[in-house]
Amino acid sequence: MSLLRLAYHFFRVGAMNELQYRVNFFVQLIQSAVALAVGLIGLGLVFSHTSELAGWSQPELLAVMGVHILMGGFIQAIIQPNMLRLMDDVQQGTLDFALTKPEDAQVLVSVREIRIWQLVNVVIGAVVLAVAIIQIGERVGPGEGIIFAIALLLGGIMIYSFWLMLTSVSFWVVRVNEMVNLFEGVYAAGRWPVGIYPGWLQGLLTFIVPVAFAVTVPAEALTGRLNLLTLGLAAAVATGLLLLARLVWRVGLRQYSGASA
Amino acid sequence: MKDIVPTDSPVIRVDELRKSFQVPVREAGLAASVRSLVRRQTREVRAVDGVSFTLAPGEVVGFLGPNGAGKTTTLKMLSGLLHPGGGELRVLGYVPQRRERDFLRQITLVMGNRNQLQWDLPALDSFELQRAIYRLPADSFRRTRDEFIDLLEVGALVSKPVRNLSLGERMKMELIGALLHLPQVLFLDEPTIGLDVTMQRRIRAFIAEYNRRHGATVMLTSHYMADVEALCKRVIVIHHGQVLYDGALSGLVDRFAAYRQIGVAMAEPHDLSAYGEVISAEGGRVTLRVPRAEAARITARILADLPVSDLTIEEPPIDDVIEQVFAT
Repeated sequence: MSLLRLAYHFFRVGAMNELQYRVNFFVQLIQSAVALAVGLIGLGLVFSHTSELAGWSQPELLAVMGVHILMGGFIQAIIQPNMLRLMDDVQQGTLDFALTKPEDAQVLVSVREIRIWQLVNVVIGAVVLAVAIIQIGERVGPGEGIIFAIALLLGGIMIYSFWLMLTSVSFWVVRVNEMVNLFEGVYAAGRWPVGIYPGWLQGLLTFIVPVAFAVTVPAEALTGRLNLLTLGLAAAVATGLLLLARLVWRVGLRQYSGASA
Repeated sequence: MKDIVPTDSPVIRVDELRKSFQVPVREAGLAASVRSLVRRQTREVRAVDGVSFTLAPGEVVGFLGPNGAGKTTTLKMLSGLLHPGGGELRVLGYVPQRRERDFLRQITLVMGNRNQLQWDLPALDSFELQRAIYRLPADSFRRTRDEFIDLLEVGALVSKPVRNLSLGERMKMELIGALLHLPQVLFLDEPTIGLDVTMQRRIRAFIAEYNRRHGATVMLTSHYMADVEALCKRVIVIHHGQVLYDGALSGLVDRFAAYRQIGVAMAEPHDLSAYGEVISAEGGRVTLRVPRAEAARITARILADLPVSDLTIEEPPIDDVIEQVFAT
């Protein structure tokens, strides 16, 4: 509960911050529109040659794209800005302020920042998804909807945990900003279902950077091809990653405070 | 875990505190840089090397020392940011590095060269954020906030974006934000750095007032002796990670001032260089610097030899004393 309460206050402040820069909203809108157009054209090109791709029909791939945009918006709006701020704070020593607050430091560093204009992508992603669902037709019922929501949440947790671990590296190696570009490159691969990629890349996208769980798995849930076993696996991986990230964070903090020295 | 502390026991107790850092050693130049990729050489630096002191409730203590003396490292250990490398440490009965919430709720850390306010928003919004983090009840929060705003006379500034404020105004806001939860222990690291004299005075007066109203214990580092003279009866001087002096500010001068200044006023100009080092001579007014042990003897000689109309013996300015101490 304290997480939600704090998140609300930071959300409020973040929103006020960003509302001052309305131009950013339009820039974001244009950027998102261009990205959407490019994505749709790409999809159209693929399906002008074939009627299915690794077992996915056109509307199903549209659903994958919708999830990719939606999850990307969430990452850019909340996860990434918070983690970048954390890197800055470690570099500049301002993390001390967060660490002297009577609140769990991990919670604090995870909710401080929000880029509300990035939420444009969450909306666009949702619209693309809605169109895809209409095209897919009656196969999407409330059951799929619920499993989809769970899979999406688990995916979000995995991406957050991955980012937190990546960022915690800054406790040892102070300059880690390059990793952001690396992540964005890998995440871009999630636009397509991971099944279309060669085995080694599937492994990378599933277990190293959990893009498969964040995008493909929720899309599978929506298109009724997700079995409960995979969902269970996703839950297990999400829990495992969250615990591991917590551990890495704590070890990183010990390093920061010189407890390990 | 909180120990049971009788009310008159020290708020801060530091016993043989130590902290060392491994710092990379590398010679200048590209070749050395490449070599250090393969083999990192480190050297141990003892930042704090056996420091002990206690602070009673409500005390305001100046923590002095040149750059790199170990002041900030000590403050960071006291506020739970750094783990001690050795020795014992208690603040309000808590072990700081455990960073328990009940402990953190009662302390605050202000760093003059860093800020924690939201840059693009009015300070009022940052204060709201502090309220949420410390879970302060709305009415008492508002009372405290308005009291501080009145004391610092910043009523017109709290609704301006922080980025539009001057350095001094920003520091005032920082202080308000850092004290809204009415902490019992204040760690102030150079709170007046870079501010003009008037602003320094205002900040000082505010800290003194907070101490008076809330009985808080304050530990202050500053490069400005005026801060220390105005706020602290007691100073702890550290140098090379060790306590060089701990006691009354006046005693510091007694103990370390190797010289006295003798001011002599005469009707006619006279050359006094035979008696000591002449610091200034303006007509019949001459200021001499003499070794402390000989001040009385020289004074007697001057009075016997010359037609003196007035004579004073003064301590040198505290800045000079401090400088001498650290030069050794």
